[in-house]
Parts: sequence; structure tokens; C-alpha cells
Amino acid sequence: MDDSNVPSFELGDALATRCGNTLTGVFLPGSRIALSAYRHVTHSSRDAPTETAGQDPVLVYLAQESTLFDEPVLRSVLAESNATFATLQQLGLRATRAEYVKLSRVYRSIVRACLEKLEQAKKSPEVQTDEARLRRFTDAIMVFYAAECLWHLFEILYIQNNQLVVPQLLDWARFHSSQAEDRATDLLLMAEEASESDNYWSILKSLIMLGVIDVTRAILSQNRKAGQPAFKAAELILKSMPVYQEGYALQKFHSQWEYWHVDTERKIQTGLFATEPELEQILRLVTGNNEQWDAAIKESKDCYEYLPGYLLFTKPTCKPFELRIAASNWLNRWHLLRPEKEQTSINRMIAQLMDHDIRLFIYEAQKLNDTHWFSTHLIDLIHHCGQLKSYFDQNNIDLPALRHSMIYEYGSYLMTSHNLWQLGFDYLDCCKQEGQAAIELLLPRITLRSERQATKLINLARQRGLKGVEQEICKVLSKRSYDAERYGNALEWAIRSKDLLLVTAVADFILKHYSRTGNMLCPDTIANVGGRMFISPRLVFLSKYYEFYEFYRTRDFMSASELLVNLLQSRITPDYFWPSLLIDAMPLLESKDQTILAKETVAILHHVETELVPIIERDVSKYGKHHTETVFKDYRVENVDEILNLMRLACARNLARALITENTMPVA
Amino acid sequence: MSLANVSTHYISEKVARVRWLPEQLQQSERFVTGSWDMDRNFVRLWRLQANQYATATESDNVDQTPRCMDKVAMEDDVTAIEFVDNDTLAVSCADGHLSVLNVQRAVEEDQIQRMARSGRLHCFQRSQESAPCTDLSVYGTDIATAGEDGCVNIVSVANVRQVKRTIEADSMALFSICYVSQQELVTANRMGVIRLLDARVATEAQPKTTFTVASQDDKSSNFVSSLATHPMQQHILLCGSEEGSITVWDLRNLNYPASYLSAHQSPINEIGFHRKDPTKLFTAAEGGEVWMWSENKVLGGDSNKNGLSPWLSGDRVRSLVDVEGVLSNIRKAINSFDVHGSRLVCGGDTEAVYLVDHIA
Repeated sequence: MDDSNVPSFELGDALATRCGNTLTGVFLPGSRIALSAYRHVTHSSRDAPTETAGQDPVLVYLAQESTLFDEPVLRSVLAESNATFATLQQLGLRATRAEYVKLSRVYRSIVRACLEKLEQAKKSPEVQTDEARLRRFTDAIMVFYAAECLWHLFEILYIQNNQLVVPQLLDWARFHSSQAEDRATDLLLMAEEASESDNYWSILKSLIMLGVIDVTRAILSQNRKAGQPAFKAAELILKSMPVYQEGYALQKFHSQWEYWHVDTERKIQTGLFATEPELEQILRLVTGNNEQWDAAIKESKDCYEYLPGYLLFTKPTCKPFELRIAASNWLNRWHLLRPEKEQTSINRMIAQLMDHDIRLFIYEAQKLNDTHWFSTHLIDLIHHCGQLKSYFDQNNIDLPALRHSMIYEYGSYLMTSHNLWQLGFDYLDCCKQEGQAAIELLLPRITLRSERQATKLINLARQRGLKGVEQEICKVLSKRSYDAERYGNALEWAIRSKDLLLVTAVADFILKHYSRTGNMLCPDTIANVGGRMFISPRLVFLSKYYEFYEFYRTRDFMSASELLVNLLQSRITPDYFWPSLLIDAMPLLESKDQTILAKETVAILHHVETELVPIIERDVSKYGKHHTETVFKDYRVENVDEILNLMRLACARNLARALITENTMPVA
Repeated sequence: MSLANVSTHYISEKVARVRWLPEQLQQSERFVTGSWDMDRNFVRLWRLQANQYATATESDNVDQTPRCMDKVAMEDDVTAIEFVDNDTLAVSCADGHLSVLNVQRAVEEDQIQRMARSGRLHCFQRSQESAPCTDLSVYGTDIATAGEDGCVNIVSVANVRQVKRTIEADSMALFSICYVSQQELVTANRMGVIRLLDARVATEAQPKTTFTVASQDDKSSNFVSSLATHPMQQHILLCGSEEGSITVWDLRNLNYPASYLSAHQSPINEIGFHRKDPTKLFTAAEGGEVWMWSENKVLGGDSNKNGLSPWLSGDRVRSLVDVEGVLSNIRKAINSFDVHGSRLVCGGDTEAVYLVDHIA
């Protein structure tokens, strides 16, 4: 997490080492970088192949940002915080402070729940045996522990914004050094025996320094010597310690506290506790004796562990603005006594928070290895609760813009990581146009695993009015089905895409396939196109032709011939289908029972002469007289021009027959 | 519904299906979930346990939390789960296979394990790639699966490796399948076309009975995402569709749909009656809603007496059936739900399961 240990990567393959192990990279969508070997070429270098060209394989490496969230346990943090984030957006900017505090606690409880799950999972045998995973878990626990600790402190200082910080800070310190509590519980359970245990007094000291007075008292009262005057006096002192409560007159409290303080010091000086040196040390701690606290600091692990306790005994009514001075004094003191201890980044961040240096804090928060989960959600919360608005204004930080860019980055990250895409929408949705544009770009990039998933994506696109994305997904699936020779599926996706050209192309294919082979592809789909046919005139033709085909198949010749004539007249017949359509008319013209009237026969003849003849002529002029490869083919005839004469003959015969029957009809 | 108590449990998995374990005499305390779109997909067995963090003071306490007892890794997305008997469940997968899993109930640690896995039931003819199996339906010991390749396969639970019958039902991807009776199946495809199939005969001899789901706009496609039949009156078929509406068909009269109700604003992912109380219907939608439809006893009269279900009463359905929201404002898809007794469990793309107590 420090600037010094930025992850580095080198290629080191044969080709790269030859050019001095240099590399070049290209950013790919989804926080990936494609890396390959590189040789520096300038305008003055000679444009010739190197001597070693072609000897080594060119390898392209994909470098990807590693994230903690590959671990399934951690996904719940993302999913749950996503829901909380959405709640916060709905809450808006004008809610009461209590509501923001509640949401802040929800965020923290998410992290705590996750920490617990992580601890549990870490103990499981499948993680214990896998070293890489174990390390990942340890990392994750560290990161989220830090996140919770910092969030908690932030909540106390800047979201709750109470005038009294010491009690909350005590809670904070107590939560983050839970070991002392655990050991105290052990002591309590041991009852009287506890007095003999080796670390009895050291535990009591740490409890006092954490400000846990009640528990200390309980343990002391179980001591074997509890009946002795020294213990009784100590109990009395601890019991009578004034605790400031909100609404209490500050002046009055101060005088009480002063009195109690002086009284306790006096008692210690009179040697009341001389028989119990350990007990005396504890009481000296309580009076804020510098010597004792210095000694304690030397023992402590973490510099902020005992600060709240120290404040409790020296400055119980500390205000947030006074904390700044107290904290920096404490820090200086700590460093003076423990110069060998290096400051960790979490301590640095705690210092920044206490020092009211939010800007640096945010900067550091972004360096946590949690793909900006912490900083994004925290900044969003800061923005909403509006507590720090004046701070950001004074420091010339555009908070809305900062929040916007953080959320945008985080949302894009989620959208591009392969199975977190659903969570990304909420973040990008609140980024106005940029978010919309990002969704538009990233949505079609999500791999389509199944049609069900595709329909989910389409639904999401439709909700946002992204017609283009919807169309693109449908088109991809249509093409995919087409390649798999699933024409019914392809046709339906094409209809869904509402793309005129695509629908026409698929319908064309089906018609051409029919005129070549006489097989109708996917009849079940065409039969059910219904009102959707009006997307493309070609589809209308296909549907209507299919209707004709069905009439013909079921030997309903009257309806068939009527529909056929309609189709001929409709002007939507594609050029290549004329021969097939006219050949279809032939059996109807030649049928025993007359089905086509004189007027319609003339129309058919007209079409033969005006549509089919020009086509054939154009064909002849293109391919020569004895062309074998015509564009227009029908499975029923070898050569298209053969049918011309047959058609003319059939029309003439039917016309003759029709004229006679029609004109000899009895007049009603 | 004021008594309904919803608790949310994040499980780090997108839930494709969720089912209660069948229990005859008591409220079921175990359920199974199947995940989708994860690096590794699992069928997990959960059991409700007393919440160890419950505090006596807070009013909005969660009494029970699910704990994962056991899991079975699946090869691909889980698409459907259905129980065949009390301990056996059929799981269909997006790699075109069907698995039979077995649950062993125990006092301490329940177990779930795979008993058998079918051959590849669904694949695309040309590319010979696996086609996702999209849904399954169980009748007795028969399991029917539907796939994106448009085929329907029927296998027996005792021997899933042997396919009893394959029907090439459709040239389009099938989205849902449902047994109407031992012999009759209905399938629905992406265009909203519902087909009645005969489980006894081969593809060529299939009856050509089709009907289309109703839609607000007949110019756009409206797929049927879920089918359900009435548990007592099996001729009543309810279809949940893409536009969020419910079309009810009376299978004795296929000329026109019996009723049409516009409901959700997003596709209905699952529709189903309460297992024991057929006066209640539930729907779960992509938009993150679960609704309960209950027959209005006062207005509808006793439906069992006159044999006329309010679902078949056309435009009057709205006045005979009350709708109430069980869950809303989840914002992401609820993919599946199941009701047992007075408890509903549902899950979806929020990677959480929701437990709702005291349903009605």
C-alpha cells in the first residue's frame, strides 16, 4: 500500500531480453493491459528486419489488475453495499443526520459481517492448505479491518458530529483492540483464582487504559484481598469517578471532576495503597500520572490504542476541535518514547482524521487495495450528509465532481469485471450522461452466455432507453443462430432487433432456399410471425407466401389462388422469386376445376410478360444464350426460360376456359 | 401483510433457482439454491438456524438465518431445480446436462450429493456445441427438459442416462416447459408461442396445437418466461411473459385466452401457485418484485363448489383476485421463489436470499 511497493512486471521472454527487456503496452477494456516486447525505433533507425527476425515467438501478455473480489466471500460486500448505496441515493441530500448515521452503520456492519465470514473461511481446511488463498484472505482481512476502523472513526468525528467525542472514541478503541476484552472475560470467569494468574495486573492496566472501568471494578471485587481497605478505597475512587453526560452543566461537572481528581491524588500520596503497589499504579493511571502513562506507552502495540483512555482520565469533556491538539500531542509523545516504531499507513490515516486533514485522508484511502470500495462509498456518504461541505469549499475541492469521478470509475470497474456487471448499473446510473454513455459502451461487451442472460441485458437496455444496445445484442444473436443454421431462431432475433436489412436478409435466405430446394425452413416460426411481419416488406411477402403454401398443401385451391393473385399484384415480390411464384400459378391454371378467373389470368399473363421476361432478358444479356448458372433458379425447372412458353400456354388455356364459363353463367 | 417479516441474507452468489425441501407435516427448514453466472456454480443446501446475534431489545430482529450445510459443484449455470420426491431433486444446467441430486437430512450436518448425471441432452445440430437446458418439469418419476435447441427430452429419474423420448418441438429456443398431465406437456418459446406436446409420440406424430400468448403490442415479441398449471384444475395454464403480463389459458378451449392481466413492468421470471393453497398465486419479476395474488373469497364465491376458477373469468379476474406486494424495491431481478407453508424464500441477481415469514 506504500508508494514504494508498486507492483512491477517484466516480460523476460527470449524476444524481450534480446531488445534489452523493454516492453510496450496497450490498455484494453476492463482494466487490462496487453504487453509485448518492444524495440525502440526512431525516424533515423534503418528500416530493415533485424538479424534475429522470426527466431523467437512473439508473445503477448495480458496483465490484469488483481482484486480481492475474486474471492466469493467478498462478493457479498459488493452486493450488499450496492443495495445500501441505492438506499442512500434515494434518501437524497435532505434527510436527517440520524438517517445518515444509520446508513453509515449499515456500511460498517457489512464490513464487520464480511470480516467475520473471512475469519471463519480462513480457518477452513480448504483455505489453510492453499497458500495463495490463505495470503489473499490475510490481505483481505487487513484491508477490511482497516476500512472498518477508519470508517468508524470517521463516523464518530464527522457524521455523528457530537460535541462529546470521548465516549464514542472509547467504543472505537475497545472494538479495535478486542484482545483485552477477551482476556478480561477469562479473568471474570476464573473469579477468585484470577488473582494468582501471571498477567492479572497487566490485563487490568490495559483495561483501565482502554477506559473500561466497570469491568475493572468487577474483576477487582473478585480479588482475594477485596475486603482489605486498599481495595475498598480503590473501588470507591473508581465508583465515584464523575462521568460527563450530555446536557449536564459543564461548569458543575468540571468542579466535580476537579475535586475527585485532587482527592484521588491526595489519597495516593497519603500512601493508602502502599501495601498494593500494583493497585497504586492503576490508580495513578486513573489520575493521568505522566510517568505511569509513559511506561504504558512503551508497552503498547499501537499508538492510538490508549489515546481515548488517556483523554477519559485527563480531558473527559474533549470537544472535536480540541481533539486535534490532544491527538498531535499524544502522537509526538508516543514517537518520542517509541522512536523505533515506524508509522503504518492506517495510523497515518487515523492521524489525518483526527487532524481534520480530510484531503490527505481521501488521498490515502484510495491507496487501500480494495479497488476503491472504501473511498467511493465514503465520499458518496460525505457528499450526501453535507457535513463537510464548508471544509471542501475552503480547500477548493469540488466534492460533487470528485464523487462523480469516483463513482464512475467504480461503476465502470464493476461493469467490466465479468460477473459483477449487474452491480455496476446503479453506480453508472447516477453519473448522468457519462454513466449512460459508459453503460451504452460496456453493456454490449458483456459475454452472452445464454439467451436468458441476453434477455436480461435487453431488459436493462430497454429500461434505459438504449435502443442501439438492444438492437446490437439481438443482431449478434441472430447472426450467431444463422451461423448455427438455426434459421427460425435467427429470424426471431432479427425481428426483435427491428433491423430492416437483417430481417430482409434472413427472409431472403429462407425464400431463396425454398426456391432452390422446395423445402420451407422453420415453418413453425413463419406461421407465428403474425403482426410482427410489418417490419420488412420481405417478411410480409414471406409470411403471405407461407400462407399460400399452406393453403396449397391442404388443397384449399380457391383460397390459394386468390392469395397468389394478391401476391402477384402486391409489388413486394423480390425479383429472384418471380419464377417460383409464377410456376406456382401453373398447376392452378391447369387444374381440372377452374380456380382462376379471366381477369386474374390476364393479370398473371401481364406479370409473366412484364416481370419474368425482362428478368430473363437481363439474364441472357449478362451470361449469354446458353447460360447454365442463372441467378434465378427453381427446383422444379432446369432453365428458367423453359417455363415462359409453358406459362403462356397455360394462361391462354385457362383464359379460354374462364371466358366461356364466366360468360355462360346463368343470369340471376 | 403487516405481519410479514422479511429478512435478507447475502450469500455471494447470483441465485437462479431456489426450492424448499418438501416436508409433509411441518414447516420446511431447509432449502436449496442454484447459482448462475459465477466462476464456479453450486447447488447449495441451506438450513435455517437460530440467529446467534439476536438481541432481545430490538424489535426488527431476525430470528433465523440460513447456514450452508453442503454444496455440489455444477459444470455450468444452474437453470432449473425441481424436487422429484422428498430427497431427490433434478437440476438442469446450461451445458445441456441434467443431474439428479440427493439430500440426506441429519440432526447436525445435512448432506447433498450427486447421484447421476445425464448425457448431453441438448446440443446445436450443426456446431455440435452444447445448448443450454433452459427449464425442466417433473411429473411422477418423469423429467422433461427443454433447451435452447428447441428440443424436449424426457427421461426417467431412475435412469437419466437413457433418454426415453426426444421431441424436436420448435425451431426456436424454448424458454419454459410444464407438465399438464402424465402425457401432455406444454412448451413456450421466445416468440410467445405455446405448444401442446404429447409425451407418448415422436416428433412427426406430434399434435400441431399451438397458441400464442397475448401481448399489448403485437408488433413486438413477447416471450413466455414461465408456465404454471393450477394444482387442482390442471386445465388452467398461466403464462408469465416478457412484458410482465399474465395470460391464462383454459386448455379445454384453445380458441382464445381465458384471461389476460397486465401485472409487472418487467419480465415475469417465475409464476406459481402455493403448493397447498391453490387460492394463492405468486409471481416474481425481473424488476425485483414478488407479488401475491389471492382469490377474493367474498366476491368469487367458493371456487371449488361451482368448479369455475376466477382465473378463467376474463375481464372480471381483476375484481375476483386481490394483488399485494410481498417484496418490492429490490431493483434487481428476482429469479425464483418458493413457498412452503407460511414461508416464502426467493433469490435473484442481488446475490441474496430473502425469507418472508407469515405469508398471508
